[in-house]
Amino acid sequence: MNVFVLYAHPVEASFNAGLHQLIVERLRAKGHAVDDCDLYAEDFDPRMSREERLGYHDTSANIEFVRDYVERLKRAEALVLSFPVWNYGFPAILKGFFDRVFLPGVSFDLVNGKVRPTLHNIGKVAAVTSYGGSRFRAILMGDPPRKIINRMVRATVRPGAPVSYLAHYSMNLSTEQTRAAFQHKVKTAMDAF
Amino acid sequence: MRILVVYCHPVPDSFCAALRDTVVEAVKAKGCEVRLIDLHAEGFDPVMPADERRSYNDRAPSDPALAAHIEHLRWAEGLLLVYPTWWYGLPAMLKGWFDRVWAKDVAFALGADGSITPLMTHITKLGVVTTCGASRWWSFVVGQPGRKTVLRGLRALCAWRCRTMFLAHYLMDTATAADRAAFLEEVRRRVEAF
Repeated sequence: MNVFVLYAHPVEASFNAGLHQLIVERLRAKGHAVDDCDLYAEDFDPRMSREERLGYHDTSANIEFVRDYVERLKRAEALVLSFPVWNYGFPAILKGFFDRVFLPGVSFDLVNGKVRPTLHNIGKVAAVTSYGGSRFRAILMGDPPRKIINRMVRATVRPGAPVSYLAHYSMNLSTEQTRAAFQHKVKTAMDAF
Repeated sequence: MRILVVYCHPVPDSFCAALRDTVVEAVKAKGCEVRLIDLHAEGFDPVMPADERRSYNDRAPSDPALAAHIEHLRWAEGLLLVYPTWWYGLPAMLKGWFDRVWAKDVAFALGADGSITPLMTHITKLGVVTTCGASRWWSFVVGQPGRKTVLRGLRALCAWRCRTMFLAHYLMDTATAADRAAFLEEVRRRVEAF
């Protein structure tokens, strides 16, 4: 499968960097063609510009600002997101990928003001993430990133596509053991992807 | 009362800009002091750089570009956010403002046991004025991630009994001029009463 890996963490030595490396390595070992998109390394600008916003609904020209990313997204048969949860959401650089690349004519069509999802080339989704706080606190906050993946992304890709969400909570209290156990879980999930 | 309005939209003559003007007028009409942050106009960088992330758990961010924002937050007793909802959440620009400005030792302290102590307890009112392409019921089905990020996530770092307000114009893509005018009027009324 062509797997598009979207990765968002600035620090090379971070736990998330290790997870990202593990994801790419395991997917390649299983024979998948991986397009590894490291948003920080590619210096992605998540801010939608005035020109982009004004041309947002013009499906003949709106992809010009992000053509390369659109083509990579359209080539993908599966999507894996690797990111930390910051302030109960995606890091800005990843949120901006949705804002700027998931455009009308790319991931959805607008028909009479209603969204019709069209990203049907993607038949499988996984998210791998870490939270500073506990699962309990995340639930109290409504766990926005989990909802975005399990509901919004699920509704955007091919109907019926499996979506999995792997999260290490309580990173601020994590130990060698909890981190190793989570890495093992991610490794298993990627081997079976 | 001292109110900080944070506005985030890339197009200077957008409907959101009209919402911002209405919010600022309504706040002034109440006799409050108001400060306005326009993230796009000032070219705020929402991407947390590697160095800032490395020292995140050790100390408050030291980038001079954040100093004025931190000062505004410490000054404010009320916070009103005006932004378009994109993909059920905050635009990346505004999300990055939270990531970088609402940082450890600015917005909260972190205990050795992982406990979080709010430091924005001088903020007693927190409001959102936003526009959504989606309908109200579909936003609800998706779980209203943007609303929760602000009214739960940020609110948890504010005063214990912080009051909240959430005003959204749904179905923006099919809105008529009359719909928009009615929403501006509603925003004026609700902000004045907040």
